[in-house]
Amino acid sequence: MDEEVLTTLKILIIGESGVGKSSILVRFTEDNFDPDQTLTIGVDFKTKKLTVDDNTVKLAIWDTAGQERFRTLTPSYYRDAQGAILVYDVTNYSTFAKLETWLNELETYSTKANIVKMIVGNKIDKENREVNREEAMKFARRHQTLYIEASAKTRDGVQCAFEELVHKIIQTPGLWESFALNGNFQVDNKDHPSDSSSCYCSLT
Amino acid sequence: MAGVLTETVEPSDLKKFEKIYHEQLYKNDVTPKAQFEYAWCLVRSKYPADIQKGIILLEDLYKTHEEGQRDYLYYLAIGTARLKEYTKALNYVRSFLLIEPGNQQVISLQQTIKKKMEKEGLVGMAMAGGVVLAVGAIVGVGMAIASKVKS
Repeated sequence: MDEEVLTTLKILIIGESGVGKSSILVRFTEDNFDPDQTLTIGVDFKTKKLTVDDNTVKLAIWDTAGQERFRTLTPSYYRDAQGAILVYDVTNYSTFAKLETWLNELETYSTKANIVKMIVGNKIDKENREVNREEAMKFARRHQTLYIEASAKTRDGVQCAFEELVHKIIQTPGLWESFALNGNFQVDNKDHPSDSSSCYCSLT
Repeated sequence: MAGVLTETVEPSDLKKFEKIYHEQLYKNDVTPKAQFEYAWCLVRSKYPADIQKGIILLEDLYKTHEEGQRDYLYYLAIGTARLKEYTKALNYVRSFLLIEPGNQQVISLQQTIKKKMEKEGLVGMAMAGGVVLAVGAIVGVGMAIASKVKS
């Protein structure tokens, strides 16, 4: 368990209010689900260690409030983030339509040009779906982001979303390794073709 | 690494929201939004005087703008905790949890504050303080007995 940590990665979670950003984070960090998850105030912060491709990294995750009244200040938390998770609710089309705005916001405020983005379609356990998978994947491809569908309630896809994101960050040159040059770590992907994954999600 | 009690505001952000607030103040028409945004920056400053100012603005909002009370309570807890006024911070947390007992964000803030107190030895100091008081009390009782015996 006390494996050496390769680096600390800053990850953001953004998206409309009520899509399940905090629920995804709580599922990932504590393996819990609260059907009455309360509205996040401003920003919340959690850390978790994760091992991907034999590299252990510490994730410092900033979970932002989706409510309008916090919008002016949350972008100040985008600085230096290496990864961003953009969440929408598959049963609410308008939250998907707003992804464009969230991507623009990232473009404007993130300081790392090659920040890795992952779109997560949450609440796939629900029946009244409004956004189909093909449309969302097309959108993700067009914007060069990763894509996965998930349910914080049933666990589906949650762990995978973070693993894929970290996998991609580690593979992105210049995004994180500036202070780990002499470390003994593996970033070659001889045994791990970049498009393969133990999960069902797809990398675009 | 940064957490909610240690990350600091970018000076450019602080300046930006300070300006908006002061412009409104000048016109004598400060909106709760501008006051809150400025206060949110202030309580995340590395300078205690800024944090103190942020707390005053938040206290004022808490009294005058009911709609955002949960936000104000939360940032009052953050501000006071950053000033190491842990007892006050925990009181704000407690008031919050009376209204929303299951709020994980606030429960985890409570844990962070308690951990910080432990780390900074304040729990130990409080206990040592208790021992001093107890010793004092014993000495006091002893003296009282002694004076009774004398009389």
